Amino acid sequence: MSTETVARPEVQPPGPWAFPMPDESVTDNGIRVLSYAVPGQYVISLRLVVPLSLADEPVDREGVAAMTARLLDEGTAEHSSEEFAELMERAGMALGASVTDGALSVDVDVPQRFLPVALGLLRKALTEPAFPEDEVRRILRSRLAEIEQERASAPHRGARELTATLWSPTERASRPSAGTSESIGAMTRDDVVAFHRAHVGPRGATLVVAGDLTDVDVPAVVESGLGGWSNPGHVVASPVVAPEPAGGGPRLVLVDRPGSVQSEISVAVPGPDRSVTTGWAPYPVLSFIVGGSPSARVDAVLREDKGYTYGIRSAFRPRARGGSFVTAGSVRADATVDALKLLVEILGKAREGFSEKEIRAGIDFVVQTAPGRYATADAVADEASALAIEGLPLDFQTRTLSTMRELDNARLTTAYTEVVTGEWVIVVVGDAEALKEGVEGLGFGKMTVVPN
Amino acid sequence: MPLDYPVHERTLPNGLRVVVSPDPSVPNVTVNIWVGVGSRHESAGRTGFAHLFEHLMFQGSRNVASGEHFEALMAQGGRLNATTWFDRTNYFETVPKGALELALWLEADRHGHLLHAVNQENLDNQRDVVKEEKRQRYDNQPYGNALIDVYAAVFPEGHPYHHSTIGSMEDLDAASVEDVHAFFQRHYAPDNTVLTLCGDVAPEDGFALVERYFGPIAPRLEPRRGPVDALGPLTEPVRVERREDVPNDRLHVAFRLPVDETEEFAAAGLALDALGGLASSRLVRRLVRQEQTALGVHATSWGFVDGVSLGFLVADIANDADADEVERVLLEELERFAVEGPTEAEMDAALAQAERSWLSMLASQEERADAMSHYALLHGDPSLVNTHLDRLRAVTPEQVRLAAATWLRPESRAVVAYRAEVETEEVA
Repeated sequence: MSTETVARPEVQPPGPWAFPMPDESVTDNGIRVLSYAVPGQYVISLRLVVPLSLADEPVDREGVAAMTARLLDEGTAEHSSEEFAELMERAGMALGASVTDGALSVDVDVPQRFLPVALGLLRKALTEPAFPEDEVRRILRSRLAEIEQERASAPHRGARELTATLWSPTERASRPSAGTSESIGAMTRDDVVAFHRAHVGPRGATLVVAGDLTDVDVPAVVESGLGGWSNPGHVVASPVVAPEPAGGGPRLVLVDRPGSVQSEISVAVPGPDRSVTTGWAPYPVLSFIVGGSPSARVDAVLREDKGYTYGIRSAFRPRARGGSFVTAGSVRADATVDALKLLVEILGKAREGFSEKEIRAGIDFVVQTAPGRYATADAVADEASALAIEGLPLDFQTRTLSTMRELDNARLTTAYTEVVTGEWVIVVVGDAEALKEGVEGLGFGKMTVVPN
Repeated sequence: MPLDYPVHERTLPNGLRVVVSPDPSVPNVTVNIWVGVGSRHESAGRTGFAHLFEHLMFQGSRNVASGEHFEALMAQGGRLNATTWFDRTNYFETVPKGALELALWLEADRHGHLLHAVNQENLDNQRDVVKEEKRQRYDNQPYGNALIDVYAAVFPEGHPYHHSTIGSMEDLDAASVEDVHAFFQRHYAPDNTVLTLCGDVAPEDGFALVERYFGPIAPRLEPRRGPVDALGPLTEPVRVERREDVPNDRLHVAFRLPVDETEEFAAAGLALDALGGLASSRLVRRLVRQEQTALGVHATSWGFVDGVSLGFLVADIANDADADEVERVLLEELERFAVEGPTEAEMDAALAQAERSWLSMLASQEERADAMSHYALLHGDPSLVNTHLDRLRAVTPEQVRLAAATWLRPESRAVVAYRAEVETEEVA
């Protein structure tokens, strides 16, 4: 083996970078079109967002927005569900529709040569879904099966319990956005038809088009594809507001999953969204320093020192309005109590501040990964549609990254301590019989044990 | 029509194959390294070793402290990781171009001089981490061990693909620091490695930088085995039945497939797509949309190099339906497909979907680099990324039918069935 050593090289600083700005236009029926030319990206990403508030769902039919989204491409006035699937697939098209707290989103990825076909099919899915009785029943049944699948998976089960514990029970956000077995069980085709008629229309909609747009006249192609979309019955969505926290001091829920070889731990508090008046810049940096990598504070101890986990991550998770700061991951079952104790200590200790080295690394990581994180058409389109949903300016990323470079310990510590008050909501999914005593003994708040 | 991603290739005197694919659209460079060792090279009693070893590659080397690889690159805006698979192990990072030399220096240090840093403490810690990875991804997940059952059912005992990359925890417990040394000496060598640079770097600059950092690593020529003998389809059905706490019954119906990057493998892959890989596939139409006995049907084909590949269909069974009946319908459709072949619509859909997913994959600089390393290491030519879709489009419907008639026969299936335990009444 050679013993020759080449000296460790210096790193050259990166040049300036900005999130791309789109060409903007408006269709005759009022859709705002944001067109991002990303040369060399041969698959075009379309993101259509229609403002929506889940608070507008009938209270005993929660999940109807998500079911409507899933049924858009399951049969139209002209085509059966099977025919429509075939038309899309023969055009190399992938369509996914979903809802968040602020919007209905329809995502389409398609090779450039099929773009006009894809827009035509997208219009049919939006304007003339037939919601065939059979398909409605099938989609509702698969949601019921999905609820059971999610119950069987510890991370999903933990996430569900967390939202139920974090937010006030009067809040829509405290319940699954795609509905519960009760609300889905009660749902009929009429509910879906009514929801579609009242809530899916071009009013306030934004379409993002990103990819290699050489020789594509975007306004013309979009006009001929979606220009004919109208819905006179479309009502304006209620404004989205941040959910009210449940309050009531620190608390811990133990979800009993007998025989679990690991425990799924979540430790959370309500947090900001990206419109926060003091600025979003500190939060991605804090996520990185506290729990964003194997060498971040959490995994330096729980993974690299103790070997309790494959990895635990902390992140500020913004919604359209409101958000949370969540640290979550799986640990070896018999190390649960020690892992949870260490985790809460680490998260609490971060209130005391951060080292210059950590701050520098955190800022450089977030700022300098940006060009790569937004290099592909789908990533640009995802971010642009998120900005549209959240009502943020199109240069939001560029401005935030610029502010981020100036962050110091005082600003980061203030941002962290404002959120991390110590009033944790903790959920542990694991074997209650084995864990109950030890977890309760940690004194992290009132404990309840619930069945899986 | 072929794609035109630029591909430049050179082999250093020590045997390291270097690929450079310039793309100045983003001021980043991806460094993607494939080492020709995967779980297929592990011997009995030493399963899971390639993967455990991959973890140790982050625990320091001659001039790098434990954890420093991650820390140093992330602090410069690098995104990085590593993965282990049956056929190979890969290490990759995407960094701002000003940090390319640092990335190469760090990689060269561990690929040339890992053993300076390996010790019992590192080994014990990463063994624990890997055990948690197994618990998280396999043992604590419903159906989590199903694919491990599939590998063992489809490939004979002792075959390179009989066991999973995660391996056996007992084998990992038996691993010693000496084993780590022997594994490194045997498999980690310039002549068993491909390094691809993709991004904002000119070919000559890229070759010069790689030469600078990797050139001093001494060649360590070991005789490397060729592929093991080819396997034909299973000659009779294999069956594994599991009764577990799962939300619904799930069937995995698996087959041996021809070796990767052959016309026959491409044809078999298209056959699986037409059968179950698309929303308009015939099994999805019949089982999911019409009869509604399955909640979903999916198809996967994985190309391997050691004489055989793997394909499988997965069906989630509706709660009021019978898994055996679903299997019967599935076999009926296999037989019909072997006679009739794909429809024009199925061929169109399978090819158009393959086109989108291939182009989407290559859209990312990281994945493009990975594809080039893949083709260079396992198939001898990185520029094959540009012609993959043309090779796929050249496959005829008759070849697809024939591949199904040869490889996807009912008697050549291995079924791994996970059935829900009989439910006890729950009080609401």
